[in-house]
Amino acid sequence: MRKTLMTALIGVVGLALAGLAQAAEPVKIGFSLSKTGMFASAIPSQLNVYELWKDEVNAAGGLDVGGERRPIEFISYDDQSDPANAVKIYEKLITNDKVDLLLAPWGTPFHFAVAGVLDRYKFPMVGNSAASVQLRELKAGYIWFPTSAIPDRLAEELGKLLTQQGVKTVAVTNLQLPFSLEIKEYLMPVLEREGIEVLVDEAYPPGVKDMTAMLLKVKNANPDAVLSLSYPSDSVLYTMTAREIGIAAKFQLVLIGPTIDFFGQMFGPAADGLITVGHWSPHQKAWPRAKPFFDAYVAKFNTRPDYLDSALAYMSVEILEQAVAKAGLDKEALRQTIASTTFDTINGPVRFDGVQNATTPTMFLQIQAGEAQIIWPPDQATANVIPKPAWPE
Amino acid sequence: MDTLLSGQLFVAMLVVGSLYALVALGLNLIYGTMRLLNVAHGELVMLGAYVAYWSFSLANIGPLISMFVAMALAALLGAAIYYALLHRALRSTTLSERIEANSLLIFFGVSVILQNTAALLFTANPRSYPYLDTLVHFGDTTISMDRLVVLGVSLVVCIGAVLYLRLSMTGLAIRALIQQRDAAELVGIDITRTHLLSFCLGFAMAGLAGVLISMIGQVSPFMGFPFTIAAFVVIILGGLGNLTGSLIGGFLLGAVETYGVALTSASYRSILIYGVFIAVLVWRPQGLFGGTRVAR
Repeated sequence: MRKTLMTALIGVVGLALAGLAQAAEPVKIGFSLSKTGMFASAIPSQLNVYELWKDEVNAAGGLDVGGERRPIEFISYDDQSDPANAVKIYEKLITNDKVDLLLAPWGTPFHFAVAGVLDRYKFPMVGNSAASVQLRELKAGYIWFPTSAIPDRLAEELGKLLTQQGVKTVAVTNLQLPFSLEIKEYLMPVLEREGIEVLVDEAYPPGVKDMTAMLLKVKNANPDAVLSLSYPSDSVLYTMTAREIGIAAKFQLVLIGPTIDFFGQMFGPAADGLITVGHWSPHQKAWPRAKPFFDAYVAKFNTRPDYLDSALAYMSVEILEQAVAKAGLDKEALRQTIASTTFDTINGPVRFDGVQNATTPTMFLQIQAGEAQIIWPPDQATANVIPKPAWPE
Repeated sequence: MDTLLSGQLFVAMLVVGSLYALVALGLNLIYGTMRLLNVAHGELVMLGAYVAYWSFSLANIGPLISMFVAMALAALLGAAIYYALLHRALRSTTLSERIEANSLLIFFGVSVILQNTAALLFTANPRSYPYLDTLVHFGDTTISMDRLVVLGVSLVVCIGAVLYLRLSMTGLAIRALIQQRDAAELVGIDITRTHLLSFCLGFAMAGLAGVLISMIGQVSPFMGFPFTIAAFVVIILGGLGNLTGSLIGGFLLGAVETYGVALTSASYRSILIYGVFIAVLVWRPQGLFGGTRVAR
């Protein structure tokens, strides 16, 4: 009797000890996002991915830190859409909260703002939702950008795509904000070189509530292609107005919007045939991790991931996860690993050269039967380019 | 020239203009009767848009029905804000002298709270729903059904509201209050009741505008601010407290946005709008349609 009691006790104590050993110290991961303020509507696509990743990793037993599994704990702050706040927050995360790892803030200006902090504290961070030619001017070392949608390369590839589609004349309308302005700056010389005539060239400020006048000029010029270098809210305006006044060009590019969930819900079949920027699609069979990510995101949030920001955010955590498994949490070892390894991501293999993604080609997507398919470059395509069908009545 | 004469552009002007007019009319009603600068007006538009979005996506109730729900909820919110924040200040002679400046600060707070509450409750994801988006043709002019409905409803409400304020007894009381507050009280107008009524009416019109805007654009917690700005521009054009003026002002702003752009270029859009705004402030500070003296 006594012996069985002792055995039971030892068993209980043993279990408790095993439980203690299981509860390894969490890995603290810090970041700041614009939860309030003018950029707040842009961040869910990124924040959702961070949450999804944390849940996935913790459900699998924790983050693999050089062989040891440790749970992930987030420390996050709201930078109120002000890059200056992000600088203070990343400094606090490193020096005060003493986080083990960092995730990226949202948007190009915020990445630029925190790059100096990373450099000063020699703390590596994989960026995500930033795209600008200027990012190449950042000192290589502690920050990396997985995007391949950099304006000068986009302009080059768009030129080739237009030529391949036999486009001789275009109308360009662009929003006066950095990403679309940068693309236009590089696009105009490319069009000239490719012998494509620009029939309409109109720029408009943020906050327009009607585009009828501008798009009537486009319609009257009857170009082969329309390039609407727009952000989500004016992409809505473009699509609605182009359909209403009946812009019939067979090639219509809408820069940012068509791959965001609400856009498809709003336009349904009217979005079919629109070409947009992006370098990821769940339909790419060559990337076995792509579809499971898409399905997990939809299951958790009941909305589709953004093909740009969500995909980039997930790539950044995949890269970090694989680097930590290899190098542990030592900052210098981590930096060397990120800078030199080829990672397996939802966007295929990624390797960095300096701050840039050296492997992922610049691509374009087209909405076909409600799904975003890669249509350029040809060797990456998941579907052929189709001429934009007539707008549904 | 073809563009200028096209029916397409005229319809576009009517649609934006009627929306601007509707948003501005509600704001002007509150300013005119109470001297309250409601900078949270755009947030009421946002809330109305969410009522329409959720009604449609959760209960499959279309905006033509949910607009009544949105108006009622907005009016209730108006009554709550009126009693909680403004009633005391409006009744006290010392506080009511400073009400214009104080209300600006109060409503700024309300605006930030509403935006961030909406962001917490609904997340900041932009949302939209498909509704009546078939195309309708009139000769060579085409308009999507949803925009046609937006135009119809806002025109009916704007004109109805102006007629109501001109012809009905309550409307006359509200206008009397706009023109001469003290004299209105002397002739037996119930100030509190009239204040409350115009406050709720102004809120309801903003809620309605939100429902209409949700039919033709995306819904997000931060969508309201541009409409607040547009509404202030319109009531400056039409005259502070001048309700018919803000109706015309709304269409004027719509015309600048459409015909102004057709005549020049889209990049001049903001310059044109604020150019007209400043010109009016300098040469006719009482508004294009205001009397020679701003009613106090």
